[in-house]
Amino acid sequence: MNAFRKWVAGLTAFALLSVFGSGTVSAATPYEGYTYVKHGGDIHSTNGYLYEDSIDGYDLPTGAFNAPEDLFVADDDSIYIVDSGNSRVIHLDADGNYVGTIGDLEGDGMLNEPKGVFVTHDGMVYVADTKNQRIAIFDQQGKFVQQFGKPESPLLGETFSYSPSKLLVDKRGYMFVVSDGNTQGLIQIDPKGVFRGFYGANHIGFSWVRLFQKLVATEEQRAKIATVKPLEFSNAVLDSEGFIYTTTLGTDRNQLKRLSPVGVDTLPANKVYGDYFVSGDAPFSVPSFVDIVVDNDGIMTAVDLQTSKIFQYDKLGNFLFAFGGLGDQNGLFVQPSSIDQTSKGAIYVVDKGRNRIDIFKATPFAKLVQQASKYYVEGRYAEAEGLWQEVIRQNSHYELAYLAIGKAHYKAENYEDAMRYFKLAYSRADYSAAFKEFRKEFTREHFAMICVGLILLLIALRYVLPLLWRLAKKQWLKREASKALKGGVHGDRNLSSDATGTGTSV
Amino acid sequence: MIETFRLMRQVLAHPFSFYSDIQEPRRIRWIDGLIVIALVYLARMVSILLTGYAYETREPYEISYMHEMVWLIVPWLTWCIANWGVSAILDGEGKFKEVFVGSAYALVPYAVLIIPVTLLTNILALDESSIYTLLLNLTIGWSVWLMLVKIKIVHDFEPLKVVWITLLTLAGIAIIWFIGILMFGLINQLINFVLEIVQEVNFRR
Repeated sequence: MNAFRKWVAGLTAFALLSVFGSGTVSAATPYEGYTYVKHGGDIHSTNGYLYEDSIDGYDLPTGAFNAPEDLFVADDDSIYIVDSGNSRVIHLDADGNYVGTIGDLEGDGMLNEPKGVFVTHDGMVYVADTKNQRIAIFDQQGKFVQQFGKPESPLLGETFSYSPSKLLVDKRGYMFVVSDGNTQGLIQIDPKGVFRGFYGANHIGFSWVRLFQKLVATEEQRAKIATVKPLEFSNAVLDSEGFIYTTTLGTDRNQLKRLSPVGVDTLPANKVYGDYFVSGDAPFSVPSFVDIVVDNDGIMTAVDLQTSKIFQYDKLGNFLFAFGGLGDQNGLFVQPSSIDQTSKGAIYVVDKGRNRIDIFKATPFAKLVQQASKYYVEGRYAEAEGLWQEVIRQNSHYELAYLAIGKAHYKAENYEDAMRYFKLAYSRADYSAAFKEFRKEFTREHFAMICVGLILLLIALRYVLPLLWRLAKKQWLKREASKALKGGVHGDRNLSSDATGTGTSV
Repeated sequence: MIETFRLMRQVLAHPFSFYSDIQEPRRIRWIDGLIVIALVYLARMVSILLTGYAYETREPYEISYMHEMVWLIVPWLTWCIANWGVSAILDGEGKFKEVFVGSAYALVPYAVLIIPVTLLTNILALDESSIYTLLLNLTIGWSVWLMLVKIKIVHDFEPLKVVWITLLTLAGIAIIWFIGILMFGLINQLINFVLEIVQEVNFRR
């Protein structure tokens, strides 16, 4: 006990020294990294991202930002900030130096509380000019080129209110626009400004309650029941392969979607993104994702407004990291509104509530996991195995690593090892698949032994067991006979019939 | 003891004659029923231990020996009470002892077969689970069939009446459980009430 106390004291002293002794570490990270395990919920894990720096505009010629809504990192890593409260878009280069401002001059290009921006590969800047109800297009120099107003179509309906907040432009030049409050999907507008239909709308699932209401309720009652509308998209982004990713509000599952060209979600169904349970005054609250960014390897990073946290998932929707949270310290957010990522992997988060942009850098652990996950998603399990082993060495709670190593062993036909790792990953389906192969192998190798065993078992069942039964019964009959001499059992008609009847049938 | 095993053999091979035989006076003992239930419990626990990893639906820490026992004994006992009560009202001939022991013996197929069937889970993959489910359902179906035979012969009912009595028995079980839970809640409240009064009196002394 004494030795233990000494040890603890020494450890504390070391910890204090390492915190206050070194000059580089100013404060501990205000959030704790965690990962999910199948049995036990969220448990402590190494942090994936750490706060690095902020851009707030005070030292720029533009002055301070006011309620920035969106951020876009262009191909050359220069950033476009939608400074919504000041009705302008600010262009900074990759090092954060001022390049120019868009939409602050009088004239056709004057913006009015824009909420979204998209920059094409050739540098054309598309701005969702929300209050002006239009899409404004600027060239590389920030000169106004063109605008598209409210799209016209009978499909949109008479009550349609146009409030473009986010947009993306695909390689054909088609614009996909998120309009606030619109539940019909993304609005597709062709390069000439003609409405081309809705894309990828959320659907209303089947509900027993609604069916019951429909069958039972009268006309007047039905009129009073709130109509069910599909869920609303909060954002849409484009990845390097041309897939469109969307974030959906108001649901606790499948909030992130990767839409195929025909508008069908290609991520695994029934995935739960965000925190399962959020502590706080509400016992349970649904995450509301407001923005997402996808890197070249398909790793998705999304902002949840509910918890003010950033969640990162691999291409298959497996949880990798979470960071951030609600608060005033560096690394926490007041009201995050947008996220984007540079080609070097730095993550920019727009904190609308604090009028600044926070920059996060991946830790070595995150880089390791991301590299391993990239190989894993591509099915290069053997190459990934070494990396995953290193992940486990650094954090033995990382369940995804066990699954990945199990798959590597499975592919290398080491079925016994695969079974062991699948067991550690609590993946029964994969375990069963590996077991099936193992069984095949085992039977082939021990075929003769298995045959002999089966024959012995049959002999035992057919001859030895009945023999034992007969012996036991003989013993019992003897005892019963002696009992009968002393007095016997009344009305035991079963005794005689069974002794002869079953005795022969055995 | 050997008598118990002989009866177990008979209930598997000749259920009809078994259930008419147990109506003979002094043919069965209460202890027979308890032994069979103990065997069923034992077989169930062993089968839980023997289940192959892929077929496990619970983690080891989620399984309680006590819990399993309660979930075997309480349904069986309430079934006996409800069945005996319902039959006694509707001109059934069975005595409670016969119902008690007969119901226990109806579970013999489960006790005998569950272990070999569970052993299969160690050599089957998940996509071959239909074999396992079929055998498991057959085992349970056999037990259910014996329960029905028991009602028919012990109480000497027509087949249609057997179905009717079975439904009434299930309703009876539901009522017993409902009242049991209600009583538990009320008695809990009562005890709390008395304890609080004692506490209060203590404070003001």
